[in-house]
Amino acid sequence: MSSRVCRTCGGSDIDVDQARGSAVCTSCGSVLEDNIIVSEVQFVEGSGGVSSAVGQFVSADGPVKAPLLGSGFHTSVGKESRAQTLQGGKRQIQQLGSQLQLNQHCLDTAFNFFKMVVSKHLTRGRKTEHVIAACLYLVCRTEGTPHMLLDLSDLLQVNVYILGKTFLLLARELCINAPAIDPCLYIPRFAHMLEFGLKTHEVSMTALRLVQRMKRDWMHTGRRPSGLCGAALLVAARMHKFRRTVKDVIGVVKVCQTTLRKRLTEFEDTPTSQLTIDEFMRVDLEQECDPPSFIAAQHKAKMQQLEQELARKLDDVEGEISCYKDEIETELEKSRPKLRGIYAAYAKEIDPEDAEVLSTTSDPEEPEVEEDELQAAAQHLTQDFLCQVIQEEEGRGKKTDDREQEAGPDMEGVETQRQAAPLAAILGKLPSAASLGLQQTFEESETGEKPDDEQLEGGELDLDGIDDQEIDKDQYSPGSVINTVQGQSKIQSKYILNEREVQMKTELWMKQNADYLKEQKEKEERIKKEKEQGTYKEKPKKSRKKKEQMEASTAGEAIERMLEKKKISSKINYDVLRDLNSRGTGSGGGSSPSRASSDPPDINATTRKRVNRRRRKKASNANRDLAANASMMGKRVRLLISSTSKKKTSNQTENCVTMTTDTTTEEAAAEGTPDPEPYTNPTPAAPPTVLEEEEEEEDEVEEECVSALQLVGDYGCEEEEVF
Amino acid sequence: MDSSNDDALDIIITNVVATFRTRCHLNLRTIALEGINVIYKPELGKVLMKLRKPKITASIWSSGKIICTGATSEDEAKLGARRLARCLQKLGFKVRFSAFKVVNVLAVCSMPFAVHLIDFTKNNRPIASYEPELHPAAMYRIKHLKATVQVFSTGSVTVTGPNVQNVATAVEQIYPLLFECRKPLCKS
Repeated sequence: MSSRVCRTCGGSDIDVDQARGSAVCTSCGSVLEDNIIVSEVQFVEGSGGVSSAVGQFVSADGPVKAPLLGSGFHTSVGKESRAQTLQGGKRQIQQLGSQLQLNQHCLDTAFNFFKMVVSKHLTRGRKTEHVIAACLYLVCRTEGTPHMLLDLSDLLQVNVYILGKTFLLLARELCINAPAIDPCLYIPRFAHMLEFGLKTHEVSMTALRLVQRMKRDWMHTGRRPSGLCGAALLVAARMHKFRRTVKDVIGVVKVCQTTLRKRLTEFEDTPTSQLTIDEFMRVDLEQECDPPSFIAAQHKAKMQQLEQELARKLDDVEGEISCYKDEIETELEKSRPKLRGIYAAYAKEIDPEDAEVLSTTSDPEEPEVEEDELQAAAQHLTQDFLCQVIQEEEGRGKKTDDREQEAGPDMEGVETQRQAAPLAAILGKLPSAASLGLQQTFEESETGEKPDDEQLEGGELDLDGIDDQEIDKDQYSPGSVINTVQGQSKIQSKYILNEREVQMKTELWMKQNADYLKEQKEKEERIKKEKEQGTYKEKPKKSRKKKEQMEASTAGEAIERMLEKKKISSKINYDVLRDLNSRGTGSGGGSSPSRASSDPPDINATTRKRVNRRRRKKASNANRDLAANASMMGKRVRLLISSTSKKKTSNQTENCVTMTTDTTTEEAAAEGTPDPEPYTNPTPAAPPTVLEEEEEEEDEVEEECVSALQLVGDYGCEEEEVF
Repeated sequence: MDSSNDDALDIIITNVVATFRTRCHLNLRTIALEGINVIYKPELGKVLMKLRKPKITASIWSSGKIICTGATSEDEAKLGARRLARCLQKLGFKVRFSAFKVVNVLAVCSMPFAVHLIDFTKNNRPIASYEPELHPAAMYRIKHLKATVQVFSTGSVTVTGPNVQNVATAVEQIYPLLFECRKPLCKS
């Protein structure tokens, strides 16, 4: 009772009498309130002298009409869609949660999450199962229960990663920061499942210590916590003289053998593994290790480094050896008789010849190099090389023929190596230079400027840098430098086949895809036959149903005409409908909105497709009436879609899909009943085209049915039919 | 600190995905029969064509839309796309090269230190997420750059973004965050 101030005298002393239901000011005596509404429980005497309280129980889940059946057992009688969703969700949560042995508090929290999710429209396009599993897992994580996502996926027989995706999305959208998983949480659970009897606690403690040690040694980042637990438990069990094989542990922990072994080997590599059992229980090593994958990568890097060093050392050693070789040989030569006369001339002639050969090999390549840098580099290289070779030649020239023959192969081996290296260096660089050069010439010969954006948008193909010859049909075009330089004339770098090859490929392809081609043929034949018979139900993908122009002066008349035409219901009181429009009140709309609201429960995703297909078959005479029925149901679906879109002011496309997901599948028990027409069309309609059609038809319908909207929008729960 | 670290860090682009249109209908069967290095997938309604020179795989649809993947730089992607269009032109289609757009760039970068993922996720709560049960890396989504960074505990980082510039910026942005949660390496 709020103490108010008396209006007449200003006194605040007001006496409220419950029995008479009046409020009186005690100072001046004026009656402030009469017939106060009292909220007290009243009792009524029933038959046999039993007094019972007056009133009914109302559920907290949104506006529900008082149930006609007193017991309160009803599944989906006349509630609005949201309430149905929530109720269905709650039931599923209870079911799943009890299987996981979650307590009631967790289940309530999960239900709250679910309510948040539904209000944010995150259930659209997702299976309710997945969403509920994600909510439950979210609760598990926030509460810290030892439930894994794997458990949930086991129960639902759904891929873990799909559940994980949903879970991540929900966590992000709801801004719930789930704390990271600690493997320590799982240990008691697994220990219990491994049946250690009385010593379970001790084994758990040991395993916990092991896990903590593993954490410090950086074995746990990026790994599944269950794997670590498995390894820890195995070791702990052995430490306490329990015989648990790897198989037992894997069965409980749900990782594979390889993983477990790997964890064990990693642990073995840490210094902790060297401690004895007693030491381990007492002492905790200060030193931390690097993560195992890091160690592996470092190991690799080290190996590579070692190899490089070895290679370098080998080169050095070789260099040394060759130095020694040279020295020995020069010594030997000094002690030999030198070539005189014609032999001397012969020996000297080799020099210029070799030099010439070298220069000729380098010359033709030089002019091709257009870039200055590469030219200079090439020249430099050749000069160096020439000097080297000349020196060697001088050394060689002093030997006799015999010596040449013997030492020749050895020296040549080394020389050719050195020869080969610089040559290869030169040759290796030049091909790329050549191709670059080619590209440059291409660029210069074609458009000099950079192509404008406009030209590109116009769609012309800019041929910069594209070697046509590469792509060309005739394989052995001599002009393609790339082929010859790489020496891969056999390998086809072209992209278009010859005639003969086309033929062969056609044959091959036909053989390979014989099944598919057969199917296509059969389908065509079938379509032909049906056309002949006249029973062909064509499914034009982009055809639009032509809307008949209805001429009506007022919106009310238009609705009337439409309703009459579609024969929606004989129970509609058309007069009232007309009044509705004129008055704009939502009273007595009768069963029309109720029928409308009953449809979404009846129609779910699959039947919607059927409905859509049926709408397209309007033309066929045989199914005229049924089609009319179906189409009117479709219309009503659309009506509701448009109404819900107004209500929720969200994207129409979303609504097309949400219409079906909003209504829970429990309510789909009646899906069979309103669809009398059998399925004749075998091929399923592609969802995007369905949606497209839906969208467009919605657009058209919305204008006509504004007042129907009002009908449906304000309420939708006057239900007379059960299903 | 950032600029000097950029010099030290090598961001290696491993994949560039680009799309373009030929503005004309393509007969997939012709391409499949007369082209070399093509795989025809009638169930999916596309042809896969692999080029050798810029190593690129292209999915060609009959509507004329083409997706090129496998390039290692944006320029290479463009070159490959143009080469592909030229190839189709030679096959006889009235191909025009339009609406070329690089859609996705994937780059890999390696930090010189290991990263403590749990701390990293804790510090960057809503943006970073780490689910060891699902994926060994922590995922960090930079909304305004539209880039996703996956951080592994060894310090390797993979970045995906709409273009190379964004990727580089993303690495710059994430470096200080990772530096905070680095794990000091022990000299063993």
